[in-house]
Amino acid sequence: MSEELRLSAYETRGKPGLRRFGMVIDLRRCIGCDACMVACKAEYDVPVGVFRTWVPYRVVGKYPTVKKQFLPRLCNHCDDPPCVRACPVGATYKVDDGGFVLQHYDRCIGCKACMASCPYNARFMLPEHRTRSNITSVVDKCTFCYHRVVQGLVPACVQTCVGRARVFGDMNDPKSEVSQLVARHSTQTLRPEQGTKPHVFYIGADRNLTEYGRSVYDSRAEQDEERATFNRNHRI
Amino acid sequence: MLDFTVFHTIAWPGAYAWYFFVIGISVALFFFSALSWYREEFQPLRRSAFYGSFALLVIGGLLLISDLSQPLRFLNILNPAYLKFDSPLAWGSLNLVSFGLVSVAYFFMMNKGNDALAKKLAVLGALLALGLPIYTGFDLTVHQHRPVWNTPLMPVLFVALSLLSGAAVASFLASGNEKLMVMLRRFMLWSGGATAAMLISLLGTTAYGGSAAEITFMFMTSGTMGMIFVGLGMLLGLAAPIALLLAPVGRQPVVMMAAGVLLLIGGAALRYAILIGPQIVHTYY
Repeated sequence: MSEELRLSAYETRGKPGLRRFGMVIDLRRCIGCDACMVACKAEYDVPVGVFRTWVPYRVVGKYPTVKKQFLPRLCNHCDDPPCVRACPVGATYKVDDGGFVLQHYDRCIGCKACMASCPYNARFMLPEHRTRSNITSVVDKCTFCYHRVVQGLVPACVQTCVGRARVFGDMNDPKSEVSQLVARHSTQTLRPEQGTKPHVFYIGADRNLTEYGRSVYDSRAEQDEERATFNRNHRI
Repeated sequence: MLDFTVFHTIAWPGAYAWYFFVIGISVALFFFSALSWYREEFQPLRRSAFYGSFALLVIGGLLLISDLSQPLRFLNILNPAYLKFDSPLAWGSLNLVSFGLVSVAYFFMMNKGNDALAKKLAVLGALLALGLPIYTGFDLTVHQHRPVWNTPLMPVLFVALSLLSGAAVASFLASGNEKLMVMLRRFMLWSGGATAAMLISLLGTTAYGGSAAEITFMFMTSGTMGMIFVGLGMLLGLAAPIALLLAPVGRQPVVMMAAGVLLLIGGAALRYAILIGPQIVHTYY
């Protein structure tokens, strides 16, 4: 990203001396095994019903030549994150060196302004009771496995990806694999028009997966049932 | 559209709409109480409107705090070490607290008979009161990816809705006082007209917006929010009371109070639909 595109003081992409981590997800390699979801759940004891990363899909084609198109999702660790601006108490913040968007759990008041501001639905509310953690009733999200990355490891979802669809690295280092993938391939980001400068890049994302469509309005009966169950469980 | 996805909760639930409703009425009532120092017609409202305003302010504050998932941490928002002025919520919380403090001071000065100071506090309080619906709208406006919310109309729309609902409640407090009812009718008509004009332009820009805006328009007009937004909010809660007020019997106190009831239903429905409607589409992605 060139310097001319930088708008806010938060942005660290291309800033000398700073790392800017990002992820490339090559959808041609994703087989939809959900191992990334499981690895993430195991790494953080993510409660039932909420996800730091999830893999929605769409079935395309006509029987018998049908296939599933996957679109693994997670926090986009935006360079100009709207959640950081929305938080009134600084509970959501961006780490300059690395670009991680993280959360001070002890500061979060649970106003959900960050959830409302996130175009990627990456944030969720932790339940009131948890078995193995006392972090409850605050907003949580993917951290790009900050605790692993600072120790020289890659995020749990990247390490576990059997098809090597997920690649993680420093976008500010032109020699890194992620930089080279972005340079060599045509990549897509989600909701680029929002100006958040997301740092999860997709190779081979279909527009039918990434864009809003009328079908949410005319949703299928079984999806409505699933949704009703979800609403019941989440007390909407 | 995806065949399988993880559903997401609506970030801001209906409780926020009740807060918007209650605080909107509270600030308008304070405004009418303040106006009583400058316009003779409003004098009967000076105390009753203030008491109503303060009671609703307390209820609104409690609603806001109870909706936090960590209610006791509401003090964090007043902690200068934590407060972040990038967020409209930070400004809003300071505005709310200042309005509460000025309201208390106004009450004591009014009771003490210190009219000169009470008058000054009334002006200060009215300005802070004006800030609250502006902040409410601004709070929604800053979310750039939300259709309907992300328009400059929101703060102005919330000011108009506030005056509309406040005038409706004040019509019950007026006890049939003829001069006051004439003024309140004007407030209802002007703020009602302004609200209608803003809603029409909002619907127009939403219908011709991007894909998310178009789907939101569909949800808000013919979809799950249609009955609340168009039926209760625009027709029963706005068009019907305006028609009632403009009718030959529209100056009678009973008719005005009937219009007030409809305006309150409309005010609550519109706030609810404006809050929830633009959040629906994102829960599917």
